[in-house]
Amino acid sequence: MSNRLWLAVLACALGTYLIRLLPLLWMRRRLRRLDGSDSLNAMPQWLSILGPMMIAALFGVSLVPRQPDTMAWLATLLGVIATLIVWYRLRSLGWPIIAGVGTYGSVILLMDMLQG
Amino acid sequence: MTTDTRRPTTPAWWLGMREAIPLLGGYIPVAISFGLVSIQAGFTTWEATLISLLIYAGASQFLFIGMAAAGAPLWLLIAMTLLINVRHMVYGPNLAPWLTTSRWWPWLMHGLTDQVFALAHTRMPQLEASQRLGWYSGAALLAWVSWVAGTALGAIAGDWLMAQWPLLGEVMPFALPALFLVLVMPRFTSLRWTAALLLTIAIAMTCTLNDLTNLGIPLAAGCGVLCFYLVRLGARPNASPTSRGSHE
Repeated sequence: MSNRLWLAVLACALGTYLIRLLPLLWMRRRLRRLDGSDSLNAMPQWLSILGPMMIAALFGVSLVPRQPDTMAWLATLLGVIATLIVWYRLRSLGWPIIAGVGTYGSVILLMDMLQG
Repeated sequence: MTTDTRRPTTPAWWLGMREAIPLLGGYIPVAISFGLVSIQAGFTTWEATLISLLIYAGASQFLFIGMAAAGAPLWLLIAMTLLINVRHMVYGPNLAPWLTTSRWWPWLMHGLTDQVFALAHTRMPQLEASQRLGWYSGAALLAWVSWVAGTALGAIAGDWLMAQWPLLGEVMPFALPALFLVLVMPRFTSLRWTAALLLTIAIAMTCTLNDLTNLGIPLAAGCGVLCFYLVRLGARPNASPTSRGSHE
């Protein structure tokens, strides 16, 4: 890799870090100015709504299978249902994901065997 | 791996690491792919690993090596990489109310990826203030290490791994949507939130199906916020939720 390309790597690394860091520093200053009296109300309302929406958007993006064929969509649907059922019962973080991945994998495996 | 608030016997960093384990299902297969693609694009194992260590932003790294291999101008390469990562701007401020006064926080922001943010945004408010730095450090460090190690593994043995366990690479990434689902479910607290969240998910999926994944995330989230405000405007004045408490 040439020196110029290394420079581009460093610029991208620094730029990405600053994108993650600077808005936090701005918000912390804003919170300090309010003396921590009501830190949640110090956040602009649209920003506090945007947080959960970003997570929902990440969910939507990651839900689409890389090869969106019928088999992958069926596995996705059943994986989501399994995740939801376990989440409703346990309200925990780990088990619903294990159930979801297990169901998704089982459907893929089963369909592979049926087709193979 | 429950969402209990108090665990006095478990060190916070260990709790963070344990709760970040689902991230590995998404990180490691994608990191292996990145290592493999980097080698195919003419980079060495060290170069690919250092790119993962320093830039540490999945989608933009694929774009970076793709454009570099195609001989794109450096300014365009940098601009496009940073443009993809601009969405990370909203993450820090959303976590700020729960951060302690420690001087370590700014350094830890290098680890603030999409997935770490989603996890931290849900878990930090549930943790005691004294646990948060340890919890975040553990979770972010495990994610970072897995991304860097996965890249190295992919660069060294990606071909062999993909041939040996093709199904594993196909199945493990489902851990990410499952994780995001568990993180987003507690937000469905009212009709207003439900409408906005469902719209966001639908737009994000539509964008992804049309190969607009990176634009899809901020666009879908922006539309969700707009929907949130529009539903309020559409409601009868005496029936509309006006207090801040109704947002959570």
